Amino acid sequence: MKSTKFSPMTQEQIDKKWWEIGNYFRRNSLWMLMYCTGCCAIELPPAMTSAYDMERLGMGPMATPRQADVLLVTGYLSLKTLRRLIYTYEQMSEPKYVVGFGSCTINGGIYHDSHAVINKLDQYIPVDVYVAGCMPNTEAVMNGFTDLMGMIKNKTARGWLDYKERNDWYKKNQLDSLGEVLVHDEFHE
Amino acid sequence: MMNSMNNVEFLNELVNSKFNVVKTEIINAEQMSFIVDSRDVHTLLTLLKTSGWKQLSYLSAIDWIKEDEFELVYIVFNWDRPVHIQVRTRIKRDRENASFETIIPIYPGAKYYEREVHEFFGIKFPGNPDFHKQLILENWDDMPPLLKDFDPRAYSDSHFEKRDYPEKHINLNNQESKQEKRQKRNLKSLLLRNGGKK
Repeated sequence: MKSTKFSPMTQEQIDKKWWEIGNYFRRNSLWMLMYCTGCCAIELPPAMTSAYDMERLGMGPMATPRQADVLLVTGYLSLKTLRRLIYTYEQMSEPKYVVGFGSCTINGGIYHDSHAVINKLDQYIPVDVYVAGCMPNTEAVMNGFTDLMGMIKNKTARGWLDYKERNDWYKKNQLDSLGEVLVHDEFHE
Repeated sequence: MMNSMNNVEFLNELVNSKFNVVKTEIINAEQMSFIVDSRDVHTLLTLLKTSGWKQLSYLSAIDWIKEDEFELVYIVFNWDRPVHIQVRTRIKRDRENASFETIIPIYPGAKYYEREVHEFFGIKFPGNPDFHKQLILENWDDMPPLLKDFDPRAYSDSHFEKRDYPEKHINLNNQESKQEKRQKRNLKSLLLRNGGKK
């Protein structure tokens, strides 16, 4: 006999509920991996310490990519650092989110015509939130983090799924700009 | 201060008595520059090393494209007599075959500096076993990037995707300038002051 109060849930619905519960805890305890490539990293100390106190949002620094949830890309990326960023991003456990800081990750910023610096980060790895500015205000940085939490809540932070779905496209862009992602020389053995 | 002036005088005496120096420049009490012929570089560096300038701080290059020359700058340092010395020399700027004998026998640490110079300027260093290997640029596929005739913008355009913006965002430059606005306003106020007459 079918109960009127408790209709049985399908496996899909159960998974969805678990994801919602997971996302609730996840967005309230984001561990960040800071990839301090450029000058925007100087906005992180005031955001982390008593001035803005990121800890009250549940965000904390994490030393290894395997345990981190958010990858902060703070500033310009040369071809060499982009390689390391891709290694790092692929090591992170899912779900993983990326926040791009400053105008350099958006369109190259002041390095838009440099031979060594890439222009568009979301060409190579998916970016969930961009914080614009050169460099962004600390308020803007904090706002970016709360935006990311809202996006996790609304299930719009889907960059890591996009990386899986359109992996060929991302890999092709990486190869077009970098030649080969994993370098083979005397320093990589 | 007295002591460091003595250092500079000592160096001037030491180098100029033994070498045909093209130009000696005393930048300040802690820095000196010698421009020498490219044949004298190795002997001069040997002399400096035996006199105590045992640290090679840097090897750099400059591309003088109009004079068709490369300038090599060896910076050496002494921990007992605190003077940085720049040994400068010019070699022929030849895109394919510019080369200069290595200084590894004198300063072994030059190995990596020479690799860097080869990577960014294309100068060959015969005698250095792996000057041709990559060091900083990884998988570089164009001409050496610090040459003056390298166009970084063209390289960037051909290798990296640019972000496209819709028209309305880039139209800002067509707005009339603030200066013109101010001139119009001043003209109008002048007209009003004169009672509408020009």
